[in-house]
Amino acid sequence: MDGIISYIRRKLSVRVSLWVVMFAALIFITALGFLFYQSREAIRQEAINRATQILDKTSLRVEGIMNRVEVASKMTEWLVQRHPDKADSMFVYSRAMLLNNPDFYNCSIAFEPDFFKDRGRYFSAYSRRDTPKNNKMGETIRTSLGGSDSFQYFYMDWYLMAKLFKHACWTEPYVDVDMSTNTGEMVSSYCYPIMDNEGKVICVINTSLSLNWLSQTISAVKPYPNSYSIMIGRGGTYFVHPDSTKITRETIFTKTLLEPDTALTALGHAMQRGEEGMKQMTIDGQDCYVFYKPLADTGWSMGIVCPESDIFGGFDRVRHAVMGIVVVGLLLMLYIFIKVITRELSPLRRLADEAETIASGNFETQLPDIQRTDEIGQLSQSFAGMQKSLVKYIDELKNTTAQKTSIERDLHIASAIQRGMLPKNFPTKDDRDDVQIYASLTPAKDVGGDLFDFYIRDEKLFFCIGDVSGKGIPASLVMAVTRSIFRTVSAREAMPDRIVSNMNEIIADANDTNMFVTLFVGVLDLPTGRMRYCNAGHDAPLLAGAGLGSLTCDANIPIGVMQDWKYSLQETQIFTGTTIFLFTDGLTEAENANHDLFRMERVKEVASQALAHQQHEPKQLIDMMTNAVHQFVDKAEQSDDLTMMAIQYTKLERDVRFSKRIVLPNDIQEVSKLTAFVDEVCEVVGFSPAVTMQMNLALEEAVVNVMNYAYPEGTHGDVTIEAKTNDVRLKFTIIDSGTPFDPTAMEDVDIHQDAEDRPIGGLGIHLVREIMDSVNYERVDNLNVLTLRKKLRKNN
Amino acid sequence: MKKHIQYLMLAVALLLPQMASAQDETIVFTPQWTAQAQFAGYYVAEAKGFYRKAGVNVRIEHPTSTQPAMSRLRKNVCQATTLQLCQALEIIDAGTPLVNILQTSMNNAMVIVSARNRNPLKHKGARVGIWSVGFGQLAICMSQKEHLDYEWIRFAQNINLFVAGALDAMLAMSYNEYYQLVQAGVVMTEDNVYRFCDHGYNVQEDGLYMLRDFYEEHPALAKKFAQASRQGWEWAARHPKETLDIVMQYVEKNRIPTNRVIQELMLKDVLRMQVDRESKRREFRLRPDMVRKACKLMRENHMLKREVTYNELISEK
Repeated sequence: MDGIISYIRRKLSVRVSLWVVMFAALIFITALGFLFYQSREAIRQEAINRATQILDKTSLRVEGIMNRVEVASKMTEWLVQRHPDKADSMFVYSRAMLLNNPDFYNCSIAFEPDFFKDRGRYFSAYSRRDTPKNNKMGETIRTSLGGSDSFQYFYMDWYLMAKLFKHACWTEPYVDVDMSTNTGEMVSSYCYPIMDNEGKVICVINTSLSLNWLSQTISAVKPYPNSYSIMIGRGGTYFVHPDSTKITRETIFTKTLLEPDTALTALGHAMQRGEEGMKQMTIDGQDCYVFYKPLADTGWSMGIVCPESDIFGGFDRVRHAVMGIVVVGLLLMLYIFIKVITRELSPLRRLADEAETIASGNFETQLPDIQRTDEIGQLSQSFAGMQKSLVKYIDELKNTTAQKTSIERDLHIASAIQRGMLPKNFPTKDDRDDVQIYASLTPAKDVGGDLFDFYIRDEKLFFCIGDVSGKGIPASLVMAVTRSIFRTVSAREAMPDRIVSNMNEIIADANDTNMFVTLFVGVLDLPTGRMRYCNAGHDAPLLAGAGLGSLTCDANIPIGVMQDWKYSLQETQIFTGTTIFLFTDGLTEAENANHDLFRMERVKEVASQALAHQQHEPKQLIDMMTNAVHQFVDKAEQSDDLTMMAIQYTKLERDVRFSKRIVLPNDIQEVSKLTAFVDEVCEVVGFSPAVTMQMNLALEEAVVNVMNYAYPEGTHGDVTIEAKTNDVRLKFTIIDSGTPFDPTAMEDVDIHQDAEDRPIGGLGIHLVREIMDSVNYERVDNLNVLTLRKKLRKNN
Repeated sequence: MKKHIQYLMLAVALLLPQMASAQDETIVFTPQWTAQAQFAGYYVAEAKGFYRKAGVNVRIEHPTSTQPAMSRLRKNVCQATTLQLCQALEIIDAGTPLVNILQTSMNNAMVIVSARNRNPLKHKGARVGIWSVGFGQLAICMSQKEHLDYEWIRFAQNINLFVAGALDAMLAMSYNEYYQLVQAGVVMTEDNVYRFCDHGYNVQEDGLYMLRDFYEEHPALAKKFAQASRQGWEWAARHPKETLDIVMQYVEKNRIPTNRVIQELMLKDVLRMQVDRESKRREFRLRPDMVRKACKLMRENHMLKREVTYNELISEK
């Protein structure tokens, strides 16, 4: 079975043919079903008509004959009533009845008991047709007196019926046995009551009719070869039946006594009630139609039993023949359809084979040349067109793939370059005793728009963190530019507000794409821990030290938006051990799969935990934060660049071993005192004479610079020089109250230039830088504070 | 002359045994109705040779319309017949002593079947069919007691009057007319059938009777006959199917317009009536209490002039 189904599934021709044949079969079945149903109904109706006609005819004939008996009885009534007292006349009347009606069987005029006082209890004038043996004269009529103790006629059915009903009626048929010949004849009596003036029955005229003719008439009714007729009396007794043993012995209900048969019982009752009609039932295991009708007014009923096979025999033969033709025709149709469709579809099979070859990668395969204009021809042409397009498309695809690979390679390189721009070496405890830094940048795409940077110049840590609007390559380019500008500007500016303002001017000037950058720039003075900063629309950094808090930031707009925006400077003191945590909005706005944001609260929570567990060193803090973000985001795609930078200030105050100060007026002449002061200090720390000379040179340059620039000519002021030393370094602090002057902001002179071409003064600071380890300028409390440091080394 | 003597001797030789048996050993038995299962036991006894084995020569001759059973008995055409108890009481009361040599029925089988599903007890003045030859005594007693004022219509036989609608109700034997009515399509319900046995009229029916004169002359013969008849009935109760076959042979022989189904039902019911309600056994005896009850009922309705006692009925006083 499975084999057949899979074969049908595989074969389009078989499937289509089956559909067509099934549909045709459906139409045939519907049409033939309707036809057969209609034909059957017509035949049924024909059978009903036929049977009804026969029944009507028979009934009419019976009625005709019965009528004669009834009329004759009526005539005799008149005679009896005219001479009711003349008993002997009754013999004449009964005899005359037979004489006048040769087909009457017998006749008796029976009176009530003791009606004629002189005739005893019984008086019945009885005449009977007699055919004695050996009588060549033919039949005679024998008239006698009926009734005796052994034949009390007034208890007989015929007498009592007429008497009780008081109207004429037919008795049930009965078999009259002739004792002399021991033969029986089925007869029925018409009993006619005659009443006196008071309406009392005085006698009954009983005229009998042999029913042999009726039996023969009804038995002869045979509309179909195997049909037969029956006749039953009021009590359902069979009086005509093909099985003679049933006649008078059985009734229509006899069979139902032991085995109930509701159909037969219903038929019996309907016939008893004198109804006319037709019933369909099973008789002796055969489906039959029974047509029935009452016979005149006798109370008897006649039925014709027609086997269905007889009625519908011819019809069934035609039906079977038609069904046979249809089945054979459909099978033939199926065979032809399969053949034709298979032939018509054969090019399709070839096309399918070639398509398989193409599918396997052989695009140049030659397609079959199908010279047809139908759908298969069109399909073949379309296929050829498709093959051409496919070849072309594959070529284009190859080019596009090559281009894409090239772009990807470029992007990888760009990414590497961008990563290369960021500082890779982070100062740790081992590198520096005053600051530790760690940072991470994870772009959302190959390249990103976040940036961070830091470097140390003149014992100052310059750092920045920023976020360029947008993502991808455009943002990455702006980021690269911003970072370069930061480096350039911060090389000569030490104040964050000025650095930011300068950067803003440069970026806003050429900002055709309307991109902007949020930026935080800070400058941490490493010896003092003082931090100056400027925030251009960036997230405020966190400070994790004695406690956790956000750095207070003024509301400045991002850079690149308004060229002439005045950025404010802010300042704070960073205490030893405090970590400054900077980040971009990629941290607070990291999204998980439910589009929930990481938020500032979580950032602070993680930072608090880090602080609580003393894990707030830059790398520890950033690692913890990174883990927390990864855990939160889980498998969701990273939506924005994520950048974090942490700076921990770790400067330790050391014991001052030696301290000395000198105050000089702003008079160049007083500088000689400085030399003695420096010599003394250098001696204390144990510098070599050469180094001591360098110290003198540097101090002199710095102090003269101050005297020249801080105090304009003609003004008086003091210059205080302090010297302090601990175990590690020697520090000179030059303090004046003149106009603000930052010698470190002077551009380094080009030492390769001729002396005449160089601007005045620049050489001095260059010299100082060369000699000292660091030169640091601070403007504190309206004082210029210049700090020069020199490490104590063994060879100094 | 010699020839004449020879003829005479031959005639004597042929007639002698017959005459002897007719006088001494032959009994002609006429049941009170035509051949049917009501008399199955006697047919069995004859067919199975129980009579022959008992040494009694029995000939079963059915009554004719001109010679009913009782008339045959009176004329000594037959020596034994079956009678219902009430009939026997009437006959004895009228002056013909009888002997019950075997009582077969232990129960009353009479019913009233009413037309159109009416309760016979609620149909005052109804036209009720009753057999012209008797058997209806208990029904008349009942109708008097219940003040039903039935109009009794005497009829000779069969159910045609009832079926034709000329009667409102008819008396019927549960084993005979009752099934004929069912066979004629009459629907029997709980309402339209009144069974006398269920309403205090359970009086025995069929028994085997002889004229007391004959009995007293041939007591041994009567006993043998009764014994073999009882044997026939007992065999019939054990072999209903074979009994039915035998019954049907008698039915065919006598050309009775009946059929096997009806006879089967009749046999079943007759055998059922032979089982005593109290002892649940086939007792084959006349019950004195039932004789007294029948007498009482009939005397109350003036059907008997005097009381006929149980002792008058039975063979051994």
